[in-house]
Amino acid sequence: MASSSTSSSKKAASSLKSFIKDVRGAKTLADERAIVTKQSAKVRTKLRDDHLSHSKRRTNIQKLLYLYILGEQTHFGQVECINLIASDDFVDKRLGYLSTSLLLDESEDLLTLLTNILSNDLNHPSNRYIVSLALNTLGSLTSIELARDLFPDVQKIIKHSKFNREPLIMKKCLQCLAKLITKDSSLLEILDLEVIEYCLDSNLFRMNHGVLLSISKLFQAILLSYDSISRNNDQYEIENYNTKVIPFISKYIPTLFEKLLGLMNDITPEFNVQGTADPFLQCDLIYTLTLFFNFPKEIDDISKHGDKFINVLIQVANNTSSTTGPGKVVLYETTRSIFSLKNFNETEMKPLYTLGINTLATFLKAKDNNTKYVALNSLVKVIPYDPESVQRHKKFILNCLNDHDISIKMRAIELLFAILNNGNLIELINEIMNFLENLYANQFKNFNDDWEKMIHLIIDSLIVAFKKFSIAEETGNPSDDSIWKLKILIKILKLVGNFIDMETINDILISFNNTENIDHKFQLISRMLLISLKPETLMDEIAENNIAWNIVSIWCLGEYSDSLLLNKNVAINHEVINEFTIASYLQKMDESYRIDKDVSAKTLIHYLLTSALKLSVKLNDKRCIENLRRLILNRTKDSDLMIQLKAVQYDILFNQPANVKKVLLSAMPIFENSSASPSIDTAATMEIKSGKTKKNDLLLDLLDYSTDELQEQKKEKPANLLQELLQPNTTNNNSSSTEQQQKPIITLPDDAKEIHSSENIEVYSKLISHEEGFFQMELYFKPLISINNLKTFCAVTKTQKLTLGQLFCSTTNNDTFPKHSIIRQSLKVTGTGKLKLRLKLTFESNDTGSELSEQFDHKFDQTL
Amino acid sequence: MTHLKYLLLVSRQGKIRLTKWYAPLSPKEKAKIIKNLVPLILSRKAKMCNILEYSDHKVAYRRYASLYFICGITPDVDNELLTLEIIHKYVETMDQYFGNVCELDIIYNFTKAYDILNEMIMCDGSLAETSKTVVLKDVRTMDSMVGTDDLNRVLS
Repeated sequence: MASSSTSSSKKAASSLKSFIKDVRGAKTLADERAIVTKQSAKVRTKLRDDHLSHSKRRTNIQKLLYLYILGEQTHFGQVECINLIASDDFVDKRLGYLSTSLLLDESEDLLTLLTNILSNDLNHPSNRYIVSLALNTLGSLTSIELARDLFPDVQKIIKHSKFNREPLIMKKCLQCLAKLITKDSSLLEILDLEVIEYCLDSNLFRMNHGVLLSISKLFQAILLSYDSISRNNDQYEIENYNTKVIPFISKYIPTLFEKLLGLMNDITPEFNVQGTADPFLQCDLIYTLTLFFNFPKEIDDISKHGDKFINVLIQVANNTSSTTGPGKVVLYETTRSIFSLKNFNETEMKPLYTLGINTLATFLKAKDNNTKYVALNSLVKVIPYDPESVQRHKKFILNCLNDHDISIKMRAIELLFAILNNGNLIELINEIMNFLENLYANQFKNFNDDWEKMIHLIIDSLIVAFKKFSIAEETGNPSDDSIWKLKILIKILKLVGNFIDMETINDILISFNNTENIDHKFQLISRMLLISLKPETLMDEIAENNIAWNIVSIWCLGEYSDSLLLNKNVAINHEVINEFTIASYLQKMDESYRIDKDVSAKTLIHYLLTSALKLSVKLNDKRCIENLRRLILNRTKDSDLMIQLKAVQYDILFNQPANVKKVLLSAMPIFENSSASPSIDTAATMEIKSGKTKKNDLLLDLLDYSTDELQEQKKEKPANLLQELLQPNTTNNNSSSTEQQQKPIITLPDDAKEIHSSENIEVYSKLISHEEGFFQMELYFKPLISINNLKTFCAVTKTQKLTLGQLFCSTTNNDTFPKHSIIRQSLKVTGTGKLKLRLKLTFESNDTGSELSEQFDHKFDQTL
Repeated sequence: MTHLKYLLLVSRQGKIRLTKWYAPLSPKEKAKIIKNLVPLILSRKAKMCNILEYSDHKVAYRRYASLYFICGITPDVDNELLTLEIIHKYVETMDQYFGNVCELDIIYNFTKAYDILNEMIMCDGSLAETSKTVVLKDVRTMDSMVGTDDLNRVLS
């Protein structure tokens, strides 16, 4: 210790020193652990000793603090820290306060022990540093109780203590008042406004930076406390809010202006940081003033100074150098203020916005990364205020792509996408593609999570941007748009396809599917396939794990092989693209993803199976077709259930006569709304991932689906057999046709219990079988009016699994059910727990044509 | 407005030299921040910027020789650039107190490092004093009082 003078404290210090030395000297982590544990035990025993001398006690508390820094348990010493404060010696008090504020926190019950000690020390008659330490500790350990108990003491110091001319004590009192008010805003009721008057009106603290900072802090606390009260919407608190206080402190706005502008000309060396006078105080004053002018209620003393504030901000901006660090800090604070002001009208703000954006733009040119970072970060947020001004600085934003720091690049990308519009789409996207190509050319050097995040950001933003913007305006030719976008997408697939997630692949496939300019599209696809189908030896253009590229290739082959091979407008290299290479490509894919069992690989297999099936009607070569059949057949033994199921179903379809297949396997129609419905393959993967519980969630989700969406899904995916599994039962479901033909006569059994009735429909249930964990029953629906298009949605609790059967009706062939007909549906539930059913029915009334829906819950007596 | 959540002093090797928590965080959250944030910052390259997003808040840090000064700050309240200046002010003040401060000074005199910090930043991480002279005067006066305490005892 620098200033210790007696031998005992020297010895004590050396004991702490040797402890620290030992820890530092430890050769291994285990050694260090042993030393720390030993010392910790020793300190614990020592502190329990009531006869320990003060100096030894202090040494042990210091060791305890060192243990705290090391992240060790220190709770056993907490009471001892408080005891130290109670000592009369300053040396004890000082360490006691330090250790208490470090080792305790605001939630501890022990804090009640502090109330009296703190109150005594706050009122200490002779030693200002004891008052100061007590204030420090109160400020850092403020429980609501302490806040309420000691608030008057703190106010008393400012008004009556003999130290109330000392800036040291005053600034800490004000800081404490601010903290106490933040902790409990009801304390505002007893805030004595004379305290503020005293600090600001007297000449004592005219230009004391510490006191000014602290009074500004108190203003912030007061202004923010109103915010938090009104946010919580606590009527009681709002009514009891000290309504005088805000108008009162608002009177000091001109004083704050004066102090802030005074700093502009202040050249005191003490506060000067590289030519800027106390940037800390400047920022704080700007922040406080901003809070004033954002105050949600109309107050004369605030609104009449509005113009002046704008003026002051401009003055600060003009008088602050943008070449030094501290200058930039202040300029940055002014822009933060400008863009957070809410109560001014647009014409007033317009010049300020431009000023703010230009200031931020100059930051972009800086060499210093931190300034660039905050500038990019802010610009992203402020685009809506003045998009044109941001556009003007496009060049500097693009330059940031070359920065070494990934977080700068990332924000530049974010900003670029944010300023995209129809006019600059081509330019900016090309720049971003160049950026990606450079990355690719460098083989993603120094690649880490951040880079991956950035690539995901680019891909996702690109997909969104493509949905929103078009180049048609720029080129004057609407049909260019989709082709240009397709080109970019193919490039993206090629460069970063291994980063694209399944959902995005769907979006890309939809873009492929919806591009109507057939010749151009085929040209692009054939170029893509040239790369995919190239003989093995040349296959280095595409990364091996580029799953998105592979999926898109597979899908394109399934959709377009026939048209592509026959198309006369597009020159095709038949040496590379022919029936044989197509079939062997699929086989190769099947081989390479045989072992890989992650979700995306499984998705690829789903696509592969569909493509193989589709190609069975698109290829002519018998051998190729046979190979594809084998491919599907092999997958019928796949270990993954969903793949197996799909393969089995496809295998059956594969062997159907061509005319049956052709209808099923015709080309996909244009997707109307790509984002509204997840593709079946993602849905399937979702299920694979999440297992049973998820399936129940899906069923629950179904209850919220609108029928429109369901119909839409159906329209979009004609050949998806899997979809049945996920779709609710509808009577017009294709695959039920065979069963419907048998059509036994269905009547309402006598033992069926009514579980729901309304003026439109009655619902009955009948128990079929009930075993441990398995429950089977039948539901009967009896419409009381003539209805059609009946759909039932059913959900059980999450611990159970539900299987719904088909709807059967003996009196009708189509989906129209006459009055009083009986419709039967079987239902199986497996799992555990009470059996509870939520049922939603939707149907159309044939009489009125209106759509009706009913929902009810039913609890059964049985438990699974 | 300064509203620091915490200040951590960490060595190049990841050893914690000082911790001061201003925001009310549970021991678990504190441990998590130290465990996850520190390696993240140590792994950053010199050319990278000194501000990053971490969990629900932002972090500004500065490296002085072998020591990292890491500050958790409140987004939209704290001025990131100002936080870096606050760190610098703290370092300057310690430099003057110790006379060419180095990591060892802080390791062996951590209570002094806390004393200086407490004179600058109070309550919920708010800046209370920007003058080095004032901070040093107050810390040194307190130091001398500790001395007289001892002296009084010897004399009595």
